[in-house]
Formats: sequence, structure tokens, C-alpha cells
Amino acid sequence: MSIELTQSQVMLHQMVVDFTDKEVKPLDRLIDKERNYPAELWDKMIDNGFLGLTIPEEYGGAGFDVIASSQTIYDFAVRNASMAFTLEGHYKSVDQVLNYATDELKEKYLPQANHRIFGFSSTEPQGGSNVMGHTAKAVKEDDKWILNGNKTMITNGGLAQVYCVLLKTSPTELSCFLVDEDMPGFKHGKREKFIGMNGTPVGEIFMENIVVSEDHLLGKIGQGVEIGDNAHYDARISMGAIAAGITEHALTIAVDYAKQREVKGAPITQLYSIQEKITEIAIAKENTQLLYQEAARLKVAGKSYAKVATMAKSYGSRASYAAADHALQVLGGYGYSQEYPVEHLIRDARALQLAEGSLEKMMIEIAKEVIDEREESI
Amino acid sequence: MSLKIVVCIKQVPVSNNLKIDPITKNLIRSGESGVMNPYDKNAIEAALRLKDEWGGEVILLSMGPADFEMTLRQGMAMGCDDAILLSSRKFGGADTLATGYVLAQAIKKLGKVDLVLLGRQSVDADTSQVGPIVSEFLGWPQITFVSELTGHAKKGMTATRLLENMQQKIEFQLPAVVTVRSEMNEPRYPTPRNIQQSYKKNIRIWDENSLSVDPNRIGLKGSPTVVRSVWAPIKEAKHTIYLKGTPDEAVRELLIQMRASNLL
Repeated sequence: MSIELTQSQVMLHQMVVDFTDKEVKPLDRLIDKERNYPAELWDKMIDNGFLGLTIPEEYGGAGFDVIASSQTIYDFAVRNASMAFTLEGHYKSVDQVLNYATDELKEKYLPQANHRIFGFSSTEPQGGSNVMGHTAKAVKEDDKWILNGNKTMITNGGLAQVYCVLLKTSPTELSCFLVDEDMPGFKHGKREKFIGMNGTPVGEIFMENIVVSEDHLLGKIGQGVEIGDNAHYDARISMGAIAAGITEHALTIAVDYAKQREVKGAPITQLYSIQEKITEIAIAKENTQLLYQEAARLKVAGKSYAKVATMAKSYGSRASYAAADHALQVLGGYGYSQEYPVEHLIRDARALQLAEGSLEKMMIEIAKEVIDEREESI
Repeated sequence: MSLKIVVCIKQVPVSNNLKIDPITKNLIRSGESGVMNPYDKNAIEAALRLKDEWGGEVILLSMGPADFEMTLRQGMAMGCDDAILLSSRKFGGADTLATGYVLAQAIKKLGKVDLVLLGRQSVDADTSQVGPIVSEFLGWPQITFVSELTGHAKKGMTATRLLENMQQKIEFQLPAVVTVRSEMNEPRYPTPRNIQQSYKKNIRIWDENSLSVDPNRIGLKGSPTVVRSVWAPIKEAKHTIYLKGTPDEAVRELLIQMRASNLL
């Protein structure tokens, strides 16, 4: 661990480890198989205040910062990556409400975010990253906004009850609105059948003439791209934490197995070919952890964190996938079996190269930042 | 009626990290990373449920060095209202008698207390003595090893004692001292919000000058227990035997090994 946690963060970490060891770890493979969370597990998540982790205390939350929330996401991901992914989707959405909503909207919705799941909705069926090509729109009529269109690939889509939605307010402007599933004209659509992260629903929403007041606009007209970017940068810290968690999970499985598996009377931990794989997994975990923790530290310090957060996701998504593959190889044929817990880590890790921006987009963004930095220094 | 409940808790060493003073034979507590005695969590849970039912307040009380603060904050993060740490060099080296005496004097200082709860024992010393000693110094009834607590705070309560081969139901009036078994409840987790708030609360620290105590009854001086010998457990790697051959051969070998180890 590179970051020195505060005393309250240490206590939170201990609590999350106790909670996840007892309540989440035993359900890891069941969640993958059932493609859902047991209802009582969500009740416990809400009762124990996980949804309100980052919500300021004046709105009924705990007011922890991103160092604590990313540590929490890591601790969940070590036991079940989907739970961590669901928390990630919620935290990044709540953060945008906190940063951009009017005081009235915060008063109304942030206390609800302690027990209702929030989601962030940007992608449309015809495209994801090209946000200006979107067609879902908001049109102003008198002092109200009329929202129309559909969105897809939403983390927690269907599970979430409140959404931050990016909508075109003019051909050249994107704005962000807060939409509640209780509003007339709102409908949840189908859930994607993904190969991994099976606990986390990813789905679509439909908006048909939803009428909202002016104060459901987050930030200003035309600020949607900025809010979307911020949500992505926040999410990438969490994605790094999920990647590190999956990698730690893979490491534990590989080491535990290698210690008890014998070849010619000795455990296979003595074989260089196994040591090499364990080493690769261990390095990947440390590297990913250092990256997401550094991004979190920069954010808390009020410094630019987008590049390091993007690196955490970019590196972590590939490293966790490779780590799960190494772990599978350590287990040999058993690793390829659905009876053993490694194969779902590969499926889970693969999502990290797609969610919150494709790996290719990460590469372009990092390259641009790095090249621009060098130009400035010349 | 609202209840004023005191829960006495203890920080114990992480069980694989014990160090013992070669002279006093006491556990070396300073600088160690400790955790809350597991049974004390059950006592806290019992207190919080009574508070939920009857109202009132739950006060944590512990005796030990300054680093016990984290354990007290953890108790407050579970929902307790207040915490007091009894801490002084003069309290050092206390056995169960001197500990029970100081705890009882602190409880007396708190005024009208209705109920004192403790875990059935601490997992480091395993004596189960402190609860009964506190009750003797207070002059209150003691009910130990309790697995169920019901009844009316004012009209009288019923405790079920879970003993080795029997259960015993005891009706009693408050005030009383009750020690709690893990079977009584499932302790709640500290919540993130309560964790934050626990660090905004002040922990009162009382020393021998804060309490009405006889200097000859505290610390090492007030401890008649003489520990002749004590040692830290020796860490040994688990001995694993892999049995080879067919299942029949392996079972035969297993039986031989079990007989050799007096397990059969």
C-alpha cells in the first residue's frame, strides 16, 4: 500500500474487509452463475451505508473521499468484482450530482442516494465515445425541459433508479439532466447479456416526453461534455481499483493452489515456471494499485488526475486480464474448468478494457496528454 | 424508561502476535496492533438493542494504554454514544482483581447506571473473572454466560445462561452486571457514517486522580495474582502429510497415522 490511510480510513478498510469476507466472498461464484445479486445482500449494502460512502454528512452520508472509496472498491473487487463495479457506477454518478446540481436538487436527491442506486447514462445505440453524434435530446418549453431518446450500455441500468443523462440541447451542445425512474415517460429497457461482471446489470433506458423543471439540469447548458469527462475520470480511478482487486483475487487463488499441488513430491511453488507467473501477477497488482492510489491522491490534493486515472484503467485492465490468465495456467486444466473460481475472473477482467472508455480511447488520451506535456516543456 | 448502559470492552492482541514480559509475565500491550475482544462486540450489540427498545445511552469503558482509543472508536462506530478510557501508568500490570476494581470505581463515578455488560471473557487471558469482580465491587447481581436477555427494563428482566450441559433462566432486577456469550446475537458492523462521526467525538481519559481509588488496590500493587510461568505459543508450520496410492491404500495409511497420533 503506497498511501498512508487516515485512522478513520483504516477503520473503514477493516470494516469493509470484515463485511466482504463474510457477506460477499461466499457469494462470489453464485453471483456470477445467477447473474444477479441476492436481494438480502443489497439490503445489507444499503443498511451498512455503502451507497452513502462519498455523500457529505449533511446529506446523511459518510463523507469519505476518493482515497477511501477506491480502497473500498478494491476491497470489494478482491471478493467479487461485480459488486465493486456496481459501486463504481453509483459513486461516479453521485459525484456529478454533488459537483453540478443546484442546492435544491442536492437537498432532494443526495439523501436518497444513500438508499437508491444512481447511474450515469451517455452511450447511445449508434455510438459511445462520439458524444456529439448523439440524438437523445432535451428541448425547452417555457420553464420546463422535455426529454426524449434512448440510452444504452448503462452500468447498473435497470438496477439504478436515478440517472445522470447526457442529452443534446442544441446541435452543438450537450447538457446533463437528472432523471428519476418514477417520472412519467421513463422506461427501463433490456439488459445486455455480457460474458462477465455478471452481477452488474448493464442496460438501456427510454425517455418519452419526460418533463423536468429547470433545476434538473446539472451544471449549465452545454456543460455535458465536461460532466461526462469528469464522470469518466472518476470512474477510471475506480476501474483501476477493480483491476487491482481482480488481480489480487487471481494471486490468492494461484498461490493457494500452487502451495498444495504437488509434482514429484514437492509443491509446484518450487517450479520456476510457476514462480514466474506468480511474480507477474504480484507485480501487476502492485503497479495497478500504485496507479489508482496515485490518481486518488492527486484528486484529493486538487491536482490534475485525469492522465494517471486513465493510466490506472488502461494498464490495470490489461494487467488484470493477463493476471487472471496466468492464474488459470497455474491451475492447469482445473483453471479452465467452471468448477474452479479462476475462469470468471478472466471474463470479469475483460470488461475493464471496454467499460468507461475503450482501451483504444485510453491510449489516444494518454498519448495526447504525454505529447502535449513535452511540447509545453520545450 | 431509558437505560444507562455501560459496556466494558478490551483490546486484545491479534492472536498470532503475542509478546510476554519476561519479568511480570504480563502481555506486552504497548505498540501492538490490537483488535476488539470478539465477545465484547456481542456485549455492545446487546446494549444497542436494549437502547433501541428502551431508549437511553450506551457508554463504553476500557482500561489500557492510549492506543486502545481505536477500539473505543470502533465501538462508537457501531453506535455507542460515549467512551471513556481508563489510562495511567499506575493502572499498569493490573490483574483481574485490580482491573475489576478500577472499572467498578469508574462506573460508580458515572452516577445512575442501570446495566453493565461485558463479553463472557477476553480471548487473551480467558479468565471470565472481570465481570463477576465488577459486580462484587458494585454490590450488584451478576449473571454470567448469558445467551438471551428479555423482559422489561423496569419490571424485571430474564436472562438465559448457556452452560456446558444446561440452560438456566434467571429473573433479575436492574441494576445488574451481565456477561454475554456470542450465541446471544450477531454484532452489527460499524457503518461508514458512524466511523466518521466516531472520530469527531471526544474520548474522555480518566486516570487515578479522576477516580476515587485506593492506591494500594490498583495496578501491580493491587494485583495478588502471581504468574509463575507463561509463554507465547510457538509458531509451527502445519504438518501436512500427503497420502499416496489408491484410495484404499490411502485410507489404510490414514488409519495408521490417526492411531499413531492417538486420534482413534
